[in-house]
Amino acid sequence: MSKNNGKSEKAEYEFYQPAKKQTFRQMVYDSQEGTYFGRTIKSWGQLMLFYGIFYIVLATLFSICMQGLLSTISSKEPKWQLKDSLIGTNPGLGFRPLSEQTERGSVIEFDGKKPAESDYWIELIDEFLIDYNHTEGREMKHCGFGQTHNPIDVCVVNTELFGACSKANNYGYKSNEPCIFLKLNKIFGWVPEVYEAPEKGMPEDLTRLITNTSQEERKQIWVSCNGHLGKDKENFQNISYYPSQGFPSFYYPYLNQPGYLSPLVAVQFHSPPKGQMLDVECRAWAKNVIYSGSARDRMGSVTFQIVVE
Amino acid sequence: MALRSDYEHGRADSYRVATVIATDDDNRTADGHYKSKRKMPTKAAKKENLDDLKQELDIDHHKISPEEMYQRFQTHPENGLSHAKAKENLERDGPNALTPPKQTPEWVKFCKNLFGGFAMLLWIGAILCFVAYSIQASTSEEPADDNLYLGIVLSAVVIVTGIFSYYQESKSSKIMESFKNMVPQFATVIREGEKLTLRAEDLVLGDVVEVKFGDRIPADIRIIEARTFKVDNSSLTGESEPQSRNAEFTHENPLETKNLAFFSTNAVEGTAKGVVISCGDHTVMGRIAGLASGLDTGETPIAKEIHHFIHLITGVAVFLGVTFFVIAFILGYHWLDAVIFLIGIIVANVPEGLLATVTVCLTLTAKRMASKNCLVKNLEAVETLGSTSTICSDKTGTLTQNRMTVAHMWFDNQIIEADTTEDQSGVQYDRTSPGFKALSRIATLCNRAEFKGGQDGVPILKKEVSGDASEAALLKCMELALGDVMNIRKRNKKIAELPFNSTNKYQVSIHENEDPSDPRYLLVMKGAPERILERCSTIFINGKEKVLDEEMKEAFNNAYMELGGLGERVLGFCDFMLPSDKYPSGFKFNTDDVNFPIDNLRFVGLMSMIDPPRAAVPDAVAKCRSAGIKVIMVTGDHPITAKAIAKSVGIISEGNETVEDIAQRLNIPISEVNPREAKAAVVHGAELRDVSSDQLDEILRYHTEIVFARTSPQQKLIIVEGCQRMGAIVAVTGDGVNDSPALKKADIGVAMGIAGSDVSKQAADMILLDDNFASIVTGVEEGRLIFDNLKKSIAYTLTSNIPEISPFLAFILCDIPLPLGTVTILCIDLGTDMVPAISLAYETAESDIMKRQPRNPFCDKLVNERLISMAYGQIGMIQAAAGFFVYFVIMAENGFLPRKLFGIRKMWDSKAVNDLTDSYGQEWTYRDRKTLEYTCHTAFFISIVVVQWADLIICKTRRNSIFHQGMRNWALNFGLVFETVLAAFLSYCPGMEKGLRMYPLKLVWWFPAIPFALAIFIYDETRRFYLRRNPGGWLEQETYY
Repeated sequence: MSKNNGKSEKAEYEFYQPAKKQTFRQMVYDSQEGTYFGRTIKSWGQLMLFYGIFYIVLATLFSICMQGLLSTISSKEPKWQLKDSLIGTNPGLGFRPLSEQTERGSVIEFDGKKPAESDYWIELIDEFLIDYNHTEGREMKHCGFGQTHNPIDVCVVNTELFGACSKANNYGYKSNEPCIFLKLNKIFGWVPEVYEAPEKGMPEDLTRLITNTSQEERKQIWVSCNGHLGKDKENFQNISYYPSQGFPSFYYPYLNQPGYLSPLVAVQFHSPPKGQMLDVECRAWAKNVIYSGSARDRMGSVTFQIVVE
Repeated sequence: MALRSDYEHGRADSYRVATVIATDDDNRTADGHYKSKRKMPTKAAKKENLDDLKQELDIDHHKISPEEMYQRFQTHPENGLSHAKAKENLERDGPNALTPPKQTPEWVKFCKNLFGGFAMLLWIGAILCFVAYSIQASTSEEPADDNLYLGIVLSAVVIVTGIFSYYQESKSSKIMESFKNMVPQFATVIREGEKLTLRAEDLVLGDVVEVKFGDRIPADIRIIEARTFKVDNSSLTGESEPQSRNAEFTHENPLETKNLAFFSTNAVEGTAKGVVISCGDHTVMGRIAGLASGLDTGETPIAKEIHHFIHLITGVAVFLGVTFFVIAFILGYHWLDAVIFLIGIIVANVPEGLLATVTVCLTLTAKRMASKNCLVKNLEAVETLGSTSTICSDKTGTLTQNRMTVAHMWFDNQIIEADTTEDQSGVQYDRTSPGFKALSRIATLCNRAEFKGGQDGVPILKKEVSGDASEAALLKCMELALGDVMNIRKRNKKIAELPFNSTNKYQVSIHENEDPSDPRYLLVMKGAPERILERCSTIFINGKEKVLDEEMKEAFNNAYMELGGLGERVLGFCDFMLPSDKYPSGFKFNTDDVNFPIDNLRFVGLMSMIDPPRAAVPDAVAKCRSAGIKVIMVTGDHPITAKAIAKSVGIISEGNETVEDIAQRLNIPISEVNPREAKAAVVHGAELRDVSSDQLDEILRYHTEIVFARTSPQQKLIIVEGCQRMGAIVAVTGDGVNDSPALKKADIGVAMGIAGSDVSKQAADMILLDDNFASIVTGVEEGRLIFDNLKKSIAYTLTSNIPEISPFLAFILCDIPLPLGTVTILCIDLGTDMVPAISLAYETAESDIMKRQPRNPFCDKLVNERLISMAYGQIGMIQAAAGFFVYFVIMAENGFLPRKLFGIRKMWDSKAVNDLTDSYGQEWTYRDRKTLEYTCHTAFFISIVVVQWADLIICKTRRNSIFHQGMRNWALNFGLVFETVLAAFLSYCPGMEKGLRMYPLKLVWWFPAIPFALAIFIYDETRRFYLRRNPGGWLEQETYY
């Protein structure tokens, strides 16, 4: 070697070689390198620190955003209401008793002879009605048709008017004549436009009822229950509605008043067929309640099934 | 025969060296081992193949007497075969064509696309969907068809992406079909005494065929009659020198004997008649092709990378899936729910569109490379070139112009450099000196080469010439220097000629004198310089004739040595004016019994020729060098020529010496030189035959600049294997059939589009349309760029996986309503993310990618832990935060405050609950809250699009600032607009709520993600700022992917 290229040539053409195979033990802890899972403790620490700081900063950013969000939101009324909100202006119906075991779906199955089964549903209803029964200390008004009241007033729902569907009667469950409590979904600010005259398409009994009701008391969102999909019609002759077959309009609008109670309609099925599933569909009738009975797109109605053994 | 045996190793030697191995050795490579890890599995098969090759070379058709041969094939030299016999033979042996390499059946290819990659995972997802649906259908009367729907969508996704990749693949393989010889070859055959023109496939053993110049030899034939017949065996041996063929049996070795001509070589001169002795796959060509197709090639580097990546992602998906399946059980979920979670996790984890994106990116690069004269046969080869760390290049035609050109002249006692550049842009020389005039007169007249007709518009250097390569070089040189050579020849009519022969090694012709006042005849002679000098007594210097004394001889010798040392082929020129008294006008010159003086002539000068390097090659080699790619020259040519070319193109760089050079300089024997001191090495094929694989490794390891000269094709294979054994990714160029095994074995075989044989093109992965080495460098650059850009593309795509998976995890662990649905995930993966990810393929390089080392295939992975850490751990998390924030915004604004959401899932998803209470006491029907949920899905989706804007911009660069890189990638800018428009379309187009469950969003719901998008941008700009400021620092080690 004599020529003047004394500067060492950079290792241009070093061939790459595959990394040595590691045993599993070495992977977990390599005593030569002092690494656990490929990193030294220091290196792990640095990485943890980096990610620690990173996630703290990210969490801070997220909380700032959440604070910003919550500051624009009132605790009294939803930001978007009625049409602007996704809840819309079309209330649906709800029913009780509803099992907490969601797998049971909307099936109410019991045998009045077996206390365990009927008690299950009775307790559910008891629980549901607690708010209705324990109104002590609340400022409530006894509202009535024809009376005017402040929209923020809370009207009393009188549980003594449920007749055969009273607690004393075990809501009919012991006698295999179950009561189902219907309620119209609360939508903030929603005001019903009631039918004050029978409408085409209403079941006969409802038409009859409306005609027989005094003009003043016709300010109700009517309710009718029937066999779902048109079957089981013959089993629906014997139904009673308590306290009336509708939700009086003086309960509306709902404005998130403290202590507000939804009006209820108790529906009693007097002679459900034994050991057979009774598929019930209840719907609400008002000009601004649109009905759709399709399974996927149910509106203005609710379905549930009753099986009495 | 050609005037070429000017120095002791004729070119024919190389041919012998090239073929001897195949017959001599015992079917191992020269090192006698043949073992490399990669090859183990096919070793047996290959050996068998080689055995086969050897056996079949032991033919004796060329040795036996013609009569015996006619007997053997039951044919007749005049009448040929009978039609009946021909038909019988055809039925027995099949058509005379190479069996195309076994192709994977189309349906297998299709199935691979349908079940490869992530497809299996998605199929599992789809099957789970169908199972879940059928269970639901059998247990409830009104089953939710969500799972059926999702199952169908997933199957459709797999099938569509499968069809897409299959289509892309078949499209690129169609490129190859255009290379197959579409024009059917015809052959003139004599059967039953009649001349017939048949398709070459219909030839059979024993057929008597006639071949004339310009034809391709239709089968292996034994010549029985020939008239100045020459063949170009380059497609078989790589040497383009035409070789004469006649009926003589001259050599035991069938490849060397003159009476055999081989299938698919070209006849360049004369005519011949021969008997077909082997057909189709049994021909020499057929056997080599068979050997090549039998080699197994292994996976391409990019395929390895993609598999590695698929394993990684699949691993994560399966791990998360199973973990959460188990967790779901522990949390007491119904098993059907757990299955549905599993589906969701699989769908969220798999980047469905990514493989299609990679395919498209590779296709785009392949197209771009095709426009730069690199035609890629196999899409994956696009990137292989980028990973290449060693290129084994041919010399002839690739590094050089494949055209003998006059490089130097020696006259008037000085060496003049001629212009060898392709476009005549080089140095010019004085064309007026008497010395040049005399020399050029000899070169013009004592020359039998002529331009072929019909080439008026063609530049002189590119014109085709009939005749020997050296003579052609002289002709072109003279045409350039003097103008119309044919006219000069006409003015100096040729009277007599003594053609070249290998014993005399000279050529003489006698011409009339152009000058009408001078009645003397002119004798001109050219030939091997030392032979010419012997015949001279005077020398023509500076217009004066001087006695050829020792001093002049010394000068001649120096010039001869110098030119010879440049690897050039040197010719000597002399002339003599025949005295008019002895040789008056009309004298009858007798060339058989020479009656004119061929001694005591006047020496004029030397001219030397070389096949000069292509203009772009030195630059390209320098680029390779700076790109850390080792360029090895492998040639069948003589070491001196090879070394000269290697030096002139920079394969051996200036100042680097070989062992021989050191020995010469220090004046010590070669054996005393420490080989490690020499950076360069010129290895002779004969030496290579004796070295073990360890020694070869040593050569490859310790010499940075290597030239292998006089190598045979088999040795080329050894060299390729040696490099691969060292861990290099090897590119090999080649054009001959004999190169095809090496091409196949290489990680990327590069065939020549112009000079290459069909077999070599078939074995190669890439074809250089212009045969130019410089195009390879373009390919390397494109390959490296696409590797970088694929990283960016994958980083971009993988990032959105976190905001896709996390909703499911939150859904299971926190019991909140699902924030992002499976269909929306598919909309991201296959919709909005696709175009931006593809557009990253158009990103320009951040720095000079040709200034860095090739990637290390063992640790520079396409997808490494740093990329995953960035995509999943950092950017993905910010994106997920953005998505959840939007989710909480919409829920809260509609009535469900965040607190309320936790634990609500069961009630939320129960159809029986038609009056779910929100934070304001409002009661939501099932339908209404599902609308709310799907609106959240849409908003989550939109917010992913918004944060992906930022992600796309940060993925443009891995190190530089975006302000440095700019936004000039218009495909990417289009991608930004496209994903936004698509997202808006999916959200606002009427009917989407039915089809995809996407709901229109309030405009304000687009904004909550923006702070997070900004955070991504700022975070990454900062990260890259510190990356640039502290090169090699902690941040780089942990986050530079």
